[in-house]
Amino acid sequence: MLRRIAGSLFWAARYLERAQWRGRLVDVNYRLLLEVPPREAEPWEPLVRITAEQELYATLHSQVSEASVIDFFVFEKENRSSIKNCIEALRTNLSPLRHLISSELWLAVNRLYLESSRWSAQTLAANGVSAFFADLQRHFYTIEGIIVNTMPRDLAYDLIELGTMLERPDNVARLLDVKYHYLLPRLEDIGGPADLRQWAAVLRSASAFEAFRKLYGHAITVNRVVEILVFDPTFPRSMRFCIERLAQVLASIAAREEEPAAETLPYADLLGVLRAGSAEQTIAGGLHEFLIGIEAMYARLAEQVFDHYMALE
Amino acid sequence: MDAQRAGIALPDWRAQAAELQPINEMFDAQGRARPECARVIAYLLAMEPTRLAELGERAQRMFQTMGVTFNVYGDHDGEERIFPFDPIPRIIPAEVWAGLESGLIQRARALNAFVADVYREGQIIKDGVIPRDLVIGSQQFRPPAAGIRSPGGVYITVAGIDLVRGGDGRFHVLEDNVRTPSGVSYVIENRRIMTRLLPELIRALRVRSVESYPAYLLACLRELAPGGISNPTVALLTPGLFNSAFFEHVFLSQQMGVELVEGRDLVCVDHKLFMKTVHGLQRIDVLYRRIDDDFLDPVVFRSDSLLGVAGLTAVLRAGNATLANAIGTGIADDKGVFAYTPAMIRYYLGEEPLIPIVDTYLLRDPEVRASVLRDLDRYVVKPTGASGGYGVVIGPSASDEELAQARQHIEAAPAEFIAQPVFPLSVHPTLAGRVADGQAALVARHVDLRPFVLLGGRPRVLAGGLTRVALREGSLIVNSSQGGGSKDTWVLEE
Repeated sequence: MLRRIAGSLFWAARYLERAQWRGRLVDVNYRLLLEVPPREAEPWEPLVRITAEQELYATLHSQVSEASVIDFFVFEKENRSSIKNCIEALRTNLSPLRHLISSELWLAVNRLYLESSRWSAQTLAANGVSAFFADLQRHFYTIEGIIVNTMPRDLAYDLIELGTMLERPDNVARLLDVKYHYLLPRLEDIGGPADLRQWAAVLRSASAFEAFRKLYGHAITVNRVVEILVFDPTFPRSMRFCIERLAQVLASIAAREEEPAAETLPYADLLGVLRAGSAEQTIAGGLHEFLIGIEAMYARLAEQVFDHYMALE
Repeated sequence: MDAQRAGIALPDWRAQAAELQPINEMFDAQGRARPECARVIAYLLAMEPTRLAELGERAQRMFQTMGVTFNVYGDHDGEERIFPFDPIPRIIPAEVWAGLESGLIQRARALNAFVADVYREGQIIKDGVIPRDLVIGSQQFRPPAAGIRSPGGVYITVAGIDLVRGGDGRFHVLEDNVRTPSGVSYVIENRRIMTRLLPELIRALRVRSVESYPAYLLACLRELAPGGISNPTVALLTPGLFNSAFFEHVFLSQQMGVELVEGRDLVCVDHKLFMKTVHGLQRIDVLYRRIDDDFLDPVVFRSDSLLGVAGLTAVLRAGNATLANAIGTGIADDKGVFAYTPAMIRYYLGEEPLIPIVDTYLLRDPEVRASVLRDLDRYVVKPTGASGGYGVVIGPSASDEELAQARQHIEAAPAEFIAQPVFPLSVHPTLAGRVADGQAALVARHVDLRPFVLLGGRPRVLAGGLTRVALREGSLIVNSSQGGGSKDTWVLEE
């Protein structure tokens, strides 16, 4: 497979994953605010921080409001990671490699793209925010289902997995970090209703709420949330799960070469950290510092993976 | 003396009046359905009028869902457009097609022989059949092509030959496209749409399939691999996403199961061509290129080109890869050389041309020029080096200002223009969308036909080709870049 094509598949997967996270973040926040009158001055502000796009946001909007944040996340042309732009990037990346993907996948992506090209703020107003995101999520699940069910487990599939498994932990880390760092409640509020509501929202944003109930029961605590999103080996949106999958995928790619090189890729340290760690230790040592460290390791890994398999020069 | 030498007399406008009337492809002069079209017409007329009107809209939606689009140069607004499609099919009876097929193969073989000849001995020039300066002075002449040999002597692997049907009902060649002709993907997609729109009709008429084109093309490309390679690697070279025919490049590579490469995917090492893959460099034996000569190799052609790959010409010269079409084939579709194509067929094949060409006058000849300039509003003037309908002036519909400008251009560089008498392109019933009451209206629009001929170990011809239709009333320009659309072309089984 051409290195350029490999890069396109990889980035298509990343944009697909990214668009989904954006969608869930906005949706969960919106629903959270429907139920309970906000205590904070501006409950939409953390979302902008999660995606580390405050600077761009500030150049486009003078204040943080529900309408402007949703606009920024969903439609904004200038925001490369707006859902609309992610969908376009997904399609642009897949377009030249239709021969590598199933026609069902292309049709589903193209349909979503055509729909998104007609989006405007009125679309949201007309259909309702929740219905809009529910519909969007269905599109994404359809696309993912088609990938899983129509693509042979070959290099193309591995590259899509690679992109997904590198993009996902990044989103998990940001989500956790923002809750922990910026939404830090006053000491007396820890474990209180507002705090719990926020942690529940974090779980929902990662589609982890039901899985959490199943794995850890009803009591939501910081430790358990960190446990399921960082160290749980069975939950597909945990960092541990992602790095285990990533290691398998890299091994599978390497198995196809004459001189396997995946051994030189620095995923072993990440694997070690996530296998050995626990929520308790991590929080004691500072969750923020831990997440910053993990993000840096992921950034390095992503760069090396790209250079190794996809860069043209 | 070019026109005379090519055996062409200037037209007598008065005598030709009757032949200048375009024919209708489906109805004769008395308004009766032509026999081969009777069933289609009966079927369409029996349709619920609103259903007929909907055909176009349904086709449009299918194209959009399938992402069948093309890009238009210089159009920043909508980067991707759907090639307008007209669902009224164009019918070609078996015996007419049989004659065309032989004529097309004959023509492709002669053009190929010409390319092989001009970049080596140039015998046709020495024998005085074609003037040397016309060849050497052409913008399409590529000196670096000299010394590159193609396996089997095939230089033109893919030819798209534009045919038009005149007032006498005969098909004529309007121009040849033997560089990187495009449009074949629409032929196949159009058929896929039509089999969903009118399945019963296609089956009842026994329409010949077009599905096998990619397999034919791949077979030809494989047959042209450098000697001794039993399982050659073929790749398709595209200029990339922003090219107007990018969809087609994706389509063909997908259908053939070969890699779609860009210049940046390629590298030449030790006079061999490779593509950069996830697992290292992989050798390419046959490159089906869809970019112009000028951009192929910055070492030999335009040094600022990022679309090609440095060293490709040296690889070809060393015989380590085959390029299809070969470098320099454009000399055979130069619009000045076109006037000599009948002579070429006689010269190389010793045969009479089976398909006549549209009369073509070289304006470099002072007498011819004077005569054409006198009646400029009766001619179509074309720049010899351009393609895609760019720079064409159509006398009868041009403004005085445009004619004056054309005159100026011709006088400044006469060798760069040819003139053809305005040719009465046949018209074809075409769906004009809905009229006021929601019913369908059929209108007559001019059409041409671009069949595709493949040369490899043996020649192969796609049944039919791309029927292009000028959707604007009265317009003679069918190019997609100039507001044209297309129709499905149905060649009937015996």
